[in-house]
Amino acid sequence: MHCSEYQISRRSLLGAASGTFLGFQVRHLLALEGTSHPSQAEHVILFWNGGGMSHIDTWDPKPGRPTQGEFEAIETSAPGIRISEIFPNLAQQMHHAALIRSIAGTQGAHGRATYNLQTSYNQSANLIHPGFGSVVVHEKESLGDLPAYVSISGRAPRSSYLGQRCEAYFVGNPGERDPYLAFPEGITRERGNKRLERLAKFNGRFANNRNDDKLQATATSIDDAVRLMRSPALKAFELDKVPTSTLNRYGDTPFGRGAILAKQLVETGVRFVQVNRGGFDTHSNNFPAMRNHGSVMDPALASLIEDLADSGMLEKTLVVMLSEFGRTPRINDNAGRDHYPSVFSGFLAGGGVRGGTVIGSSDENGEKPKDRPVQVADLHATFCHALGIDGNKEVMTPLLRPMKLVDNGEPVRELFA
Amino acid sequence: MQVRSYRGIAACCPPMLMLLLTWALAGPLAVRSDAADAGRPDGEGVNRVLDAENRELGIPHQPQPLVNDLTFLRRIYIDLIGRIPTDAEIRAFAALPKATRRTTIVDRLIEHERFADTWTVFYADMLRLRSNADGGSAAIALVHQALEEEMPYDELARRMIAASGKAGATPEVGFILGDNADPMALAGATAQVFLGIRVACAQCHDHPFDVWTQRDFYDLAAFFGKTRRVETQFTNTVYTTESSQTTVLWPPEGEPGERQPLPPKFPFEMASNSRAAAYVARLEQLRSDQSEQLAAREAASTKSTVDDLLAAVDSKVQNASRGQRLAPEGIAAEAKRDARNLKVDAGMSGTSELRAELARLVTDPKNRFFSRAFVNRVWAQLVGRGFVEPVDDFRDDNPPSHPQTLDYLADEFVAHGYDLKSLVRMIVTSAPYQRAHAVGADDVTQTELETAFLATPMRRMMSEVLYDSIVTAGHLFAPKHAPGKNLKTVWQQSRIAKAPRDDRPTGSGAADQENAPTPLAQLGSGGESSTESMPAKNKGPRQASYNLESAIELDFDSLLAAKKGQAEVMVDRMKVMSKEELEAERMQAQMQQERRNVEFVDRFVRTTIDDNPQFGSSFRMASPAPPEHFLRVFGQTDRTQLGNHRDQDPSMRQALMMLNGRLTHEASRVGEDEPIYGLVVGEKANLRQAIQLAYREILTRHPSDDEFREAAAIVGDAENAPAGIADLRWILLNCNEFRFLP
Repeated sequence: MHCSEYQISRRSLLGAASGTFLGFQVRHLLALEGTSHPSQAEHVILFWNGGGMSHIDTWDPKPGRPTQGEFEAIETSAPGIRISEIFPNLAQQMHHAALIRSIAGTQGAHGRATYNLQTSYNQSANLIHPGFGSVVVHEKESLGDLPAYVSISGRAPRSSYLGQRCEAYFVGNPGERDPYLAFPEGITRERGNKRLERLAKFNGRFANNRNDDKLQATATSIDDAVRLMRSPALKAFELDKVPTSTLNRYGDTPFGRGAILAKQLVETGVRFVQVNRGGFDTHSNNFPAMRNHGSVMDPALASLIEDLADSGMLEKTLVVMLSEFGRTPRINDNAGRDHYPSVFSGFLAGGGVRGGTVIGSSDENGEKPKDRPVQVADLHATFCHALGIDGNKEVMTPLLRPMKLVDNGEPVRELFA
Repeated sequence: MQVRSYRGIAACCPPMLMLLLTWALAGPLAVRSDAADAGRPDGEGVNRVLDAENRELGIPHQPQPLVNDLTFLRRIYIDLIGRIPTDAEIRAFAALPKATRRTTIVDRLIEHERFADTWTVFYADMLRLRSNADGGSAAIALVHQALEEEMPYDELARRMIAASGKAGATPEVGFILGDNADPMALAGATAQVFLGIRVACAQCHDHPFDVWTQRDFYDLAAFFGKTRRVETQFTNTVYTTESSQTTVLWPPEGEPGERQPLPPKFPFEMASNSRAAAYVARLEQLRSDQSEQLAAREAASTKSTVDDLLAAVDSKVQNASRGQRLAPEGIAAEAKRDARNLKVDAGMSGTSELRAELARLVTDPKNRFFSRAFVNRVWAQLVGRGFVEPVDDFRDDNPPSHPQTLDYLADEFVAHGYDLKSLVRMIVTSAPYQRAHAVGADDVTQTELETAFLATPMRRMMSEVLYDSIVTAGHLFAPKHAPGKNLKTVWQQSRIAKAPRDDRPTGSGAADQENAPTPLAQLGSGGESSTESMPAKNKGPRQASYNLESAIELDFDSLLAAKKGQAEVMVDRMKVMSKEELEAERMQAQMQQERRNVEFVDRFVRTTIDDNPQFGSSFRMASPAPPEHFLRVFGQTDRTQLGNHRDQDPSMRQALMMLNGRLTHEASRVGEDEPIYGLVVGEKANLRQAIQLAYREILTRHPSDDEFREAAAIVGDAENAPAGIADLRWILLNCNEFRFLP
């Protein structure tokens, strides 16, 4: 479904599924969908690490080199792949995961680099490019009642010319209830439902002698809203019933809860979940900061990959962790590392990505791509490839300028089986 | 409100002096320009030219009738002052003589203080002014002042194009800085915004479906070639300056040939002298009359001394301190300091010669693109459809539907001194504005009627209008409940410092994001609080990140008066922050905390507050609003992309906000201080009158008999009468009849 066309409502889709379209039955539909093209990924979970995460202290350790820093490299469940010691649990899941160690970025300022990594385009005057989540929900039809694109703990990029329907649905804190999904304070369900019934009557009468698409589209938007308010699938946003043991396994942190929420959402049909987290701009005291980041990310990411793999969802879910750039191999006078776009790493798992793969490498000090440099647009082309989306498809901007979904780029085909 | 007249001042004064003069004139010297004096035109001429043109076009349809008085009243309030009329205003209108009440109300509303607020949003959309860009808030405040003072549109455009200076201190540079002073971006923006010509495509190649070549584009960009954006690291200020070298070279990068500096050339054709003679002569006559009047006034008054000006500042302060925005003493001190520091000969002297020349060419009365583009925009805003659509896409193969009517309006607009109010008056007193919708017509006929301006298209209220209309209908501009009626027990979160500690190294640690402010929380005016239960640890405070319906007003006066200080701090705090900015702020805050070796704990304190709701006007809030805010959800754009106009598409998010949002909920609830209260509760309760009042206040009309019976049933069904009226009002506020203009 094209998000910008509201008139083509989800209702027609629901009709096809004979109206019994509740969150729990989504998997059947997924199975049908999955056969329609050779790609495997149906969902994406993007962990966005804002601030520029050190590549050497995470995915691309340089043991024995002066740039190594304080962390050792440890063996993982994927023979030959070593990652930083701050990820002991994740190391046991690396047979499911792949690393790209040769991302060749070009932008060294937070704003421009974030824009580039999240949209594949460079920032330009007068035009805003949509984020990748918007591209996905523009190209893949919605499944179930929930919004197709959810951003947790922070903003996702704008949908821009792909239309308001491709904007992310925003969840401030994982588990936080969206007050707009329930009647206002003091309005009982009975009273609220009665109001809705009467409103429909008023609107029906008003639309009756007026021949205007805008009125019909407004009615559809209200129907959609009410359906979402009443949907059992909304449970996917709640974390109250998550067992303490699970919470502990993921780490009882906002990030851990974000990972649990992301898992629940994709299981309920959400196409794209972005989980945001900041604090990676470690210009000083890089090492205690990164150790702390490790302790937060490691249990969550490891548990998520393990659980998705166990349930079979990992095949259909592309899990990605990215940051806007890496950090300087050189350790500065404040025991920190500074912005470094020339080479950095990304983490991928699932969605058809071959586990235990490493693409490219940086040189011995982690300063430059040594082989198989991957451009930022190549990353996006790769995601498209995994999802069966044609990244070269053109859409029109408000000025009727045709723009490709992805700013060119070649998929990294070796990642896939 | 007192209107300071701009007329006659613009022609001869440097802007800064002008500012002082208008300040000074705000006192006893003020000359009120009422509509009669100004001789603002009506819509008879438009009717005549349009009728003739439609006859020529052979339109086969009869026009829809003009709407009735109450429908007109709702339309005109919405379009001129950005909200629906109150019951008192409906009554006042009904008391006017029937024959002249429409023009009378138009003349009143054009002078209403909300007229400037409302049309500031129109200009800010058009010029893509953004509160969160360098100098953006000051530029918006300047537009507001220009509207209040009736600054001619050509003068405003000249200033925006030509100004140089510091962001905020020279408000006009907000336009140039909005595009980062980039010559290519500004060429595209200037042509499209002021002339309605889309040349941006020609930046990279000759225009695919228009006559503009890449060379044309570069010629135009060369006017901006010497303009630079400068950012000082230490004081963190941004300003524009002029370099001696141009950055615009020809041929374009990557093409063969040595790249040479390109002299600027205006690529758009002017009207011939003979064609333009009549209206240009009228403009010149008008402006010469205005100068004479000014000279006469100056001769009659003693020369202003600095002390006179300072006295004027005092009266300015009285206005600026309305509401509880800032302590008046603070503004006074600042404004006086500014007045003393003003260089009377400053102003345009700092501008770029190239851009001053461009400004002159763009606003030349013989440049018909300039007047046509603006007239087309205002017409589309009011009538619902432009002569040219999209409104900023004039080209040979997209001709205006009614070229003669467009030119008539454009010529009159110029001849009346580029006066927005004259243009608006001409349009809203004309028949095409006042026609009914094409109710009951088939699709084809409806389109033909609307294109011929024989029927008006259905329009949804702009987001700001919808917001302010709900606040108006619900009496929420001031508290409406008796004190103590809205007591709520809430948990308030605060950070409290524990004893200093020495066991941790200084510098950046890695606290988790647990307590990082979300962008939305930044907008909160009161303490962020969560109702009902104590937040469980794994849930976080409920609803803390949702504050999508508040509107904190910008103080336009102090934005223009203060160069640094409280006002800017307030605006900074309200900036819609990017993730990176938030991250930087968070890191900084964290480092500061840790530098002091102080550990903080979060305390939840149970308190009781009187949650008597109150909402400000959305027309005066920082804009664009944060991405998920009510205003954005209902179509306010981010004002970055060219050609990205507000749309009227519905969305599920809109529905959720209207159905379950605080704004509609509070507007529906009956407060003791509302006029309807006495009709609902107590001895004088009168259900019939209460229902009629609810219909008048929300839909600006009376209910039919059927509607009355239906409403009575709704009220009768509820637990008690106030709850029933709340249910009725909630339905009326949510129904399509409310949000679509009649």
